[in-house]
Amino acid sequence: MISPEQAGIAIMLVGIYGLMAKREPVKLVLSVNVVSLGLVLFFVGLAYSPGKDVPIMPTDPVDPLPATLMLTTLVVDVAITSLALAIIIRMRGDGE
Amino acid sequence: MAALPILFAFLIVLLDVLRLRGLAVRAVFLLGAVIPIPVVWLSNEGSEVVGGWARKAGIEVALTETNVPFLMGELVLFAFVAVYSLSYFDPRDKKTPKVLALLLLTHAGLLGAFIARDLFNFYVYMEIASVSAFALVAFSGDKGAKGAAFKYLILSLLASYLFVFSIGLVYMETGYLNADLVSETAAPSRELYAAIAIAAASLLLKAGIFPLHGWLPDAHSRAPTPVSALLSGAVVKAPAYGMLLLFSSLPVGLTLRTVLMGTAIVSIFFGIGRMLIANDAKRFLAYSTVSQMGYVLLGIASLNFVGAAYYAMAHSIFKGGLFLAVGSISTKSRKLGEFGYRNAPVIAVSILMLSLAIGGVSPFIGAYAKGLISSELGGWWKLAVYLSTIGTLTSFTKLNYHLMRRLSPSSKGAWKLSSFGLALAALLAGVLLGAGINPKDALGIAIALGLFAALKASGVLGRSHPAPSRDVGREVNLMAMTLVAAIVLLMLLGWFTPAGGR
Repeated sequence: MISPEQAGIAIMLVGIYGLMAKREPVKLVLSVNVVSLGLVLFFVGLAYSPGKDVPIMPTDPVDPLPATLMLTTLVVDVAITSLALAIIIRMRGDGE
Repeated sequence: MAALPILFAFLIVLLDVLRLRGLAVRAVFLLGAVIPIPVVWLSNEGSEVVGGWARKAGIEVALTETNVPFLMGELVLFAFVAVYSLSYFDPRDKKTPKVLALLLLTHAGLLGAFIARDLFNFYVYMEIASVSAFALVAFSGDKGAKGAAFKYLILSLLASYLFVFSIGLVYMETGYLNADLVSETAAPSRELYAAIAIAAASLLLKAGIFPLHGWLPDAHSRAPTPVSALLSGAVVKAPAYGMLLLFSSLPVGLTLRTVLMGTAIVSIFFGIGRMLIANDAKRFLAYSTVSQMGYVLLGIASLNFVGAAYYAMAHSIFKGGLFLAVGSISTKSRKLGEFGYRNAPVIAVSILMLSLAIGGVSPFIGAYAKGLISSELGGWWKLAVYLSTIGTLTSFTKLNYHLMRRLSPSSKGAWKLSSFGLALAALLAGVLLGAGINPKDALGIAIALGLFAALKASGVLGRSHPAPSRDVGREVNLMAMTLVAAIVLLMLLGWFTPAGGR
């Protein structure tokens, strides 16, 4: 059975492949989004570490910290996606 | 303590967006630019955990001897950039308040990144700074600026995500995000080595070091002048500080450090080479950033953090000043040989002073910082630094040679003031830090002048071919491949090194 961390890394690699192989700007933005989703999955998987103790909650096996960090990353992702799409629209206007 | 100015800057940004009146926006902007200076001045050195949490759970910020120079450089630079941009951007334009708000956000992000002692907190602030930087580049009316901003955005974002991924690995291995706590618990392991390799490669991309510099010349040369100054002067310093944080907290092996030092030297000379053949004044300065960031990396990779920090400060001051000064006389054309400072004595003096400073001539700040960097290096590395100093002087001789012979359209008083102010800052900082006059520098300048004359006679200079116009997508593909190749190479390096060698 594949663990969430491994799945996350695999998804990130798919996104990176997209960045290396696709040339349409919109697809590049989507690839970056795929990378970020893989990253989120990796972190969420990371948080579940039964048997290990966690700095914040020593008794609970699920560490809340990585999930919180991922909230920040998701916010960055949304902001960046909108900015990137806006720039793509302007690029068309520039005639590039 | 130092977290306060960031909150303040955010507040001003809000006000800026709400009120679209000319004078109020400008006053608030200037206030937001300078208020952090007294706050940093008054707060004493030491660390603090935000919100009074336990150190393990909270976010720690600190003023230490390694990040104060970064902060000082940024504060000085931003104050002058603020003055410059108030007269650069037309106050009647509807876009101007947005640009000013974004500039303040960059300022806040940089300050936050420089005081962070926590890896994730550092990442968040670095993203604030770079996201505003993407938008600022895209605001330029220059043709191709949108494409440059897009390239910068995608690559920088990929690098950021990889950096967060490596933070995740560090967290998995050590259980902490705080740099000091990480350094207490980190034991060399394969996972940690992979984390270091990924983080190092992605920060190299964001700092614009040679094989991964592809986005930098376009973004930095196509942005509006004050934004270029801020990008080259301060935004690329944030990843450098991240690398400093990483290298000071994790066990980085000797092999990796040697490879990075080699990369730094290659980056320095590559930048000089491109400067010598560049035709466009702002591209010339952008490649100079590629070259100068090499020195910062050299300092970090030789674990000479104080030297790297002072070099970063020095570079903030003189590169920002050069961009402002060159930008204020190149409003019509940016091609070397079509404009100059013959009829603008203030700008001429500033550019000459800043060129000497960037070439590491004493008593300017560049000499002090370069002395710190090379003081920790062995024989061959020292020689490389000396040779690169001569290279830098040669290429700036080229810049001044072209500028000296042409006239320029008249520029505004505020522009001259900020350029000259930064030139003075470079001199004063050098004198205050105790860079005495070193007669050997005259020899360096003489060699550089001779070398320039020889190169000029041989006709190598100014041969820059116009950039092949590939489309943006292909360029992103190529650069992403370079980044992946760099990561794989760095990882393989760890694989083949015996465990004792690290």
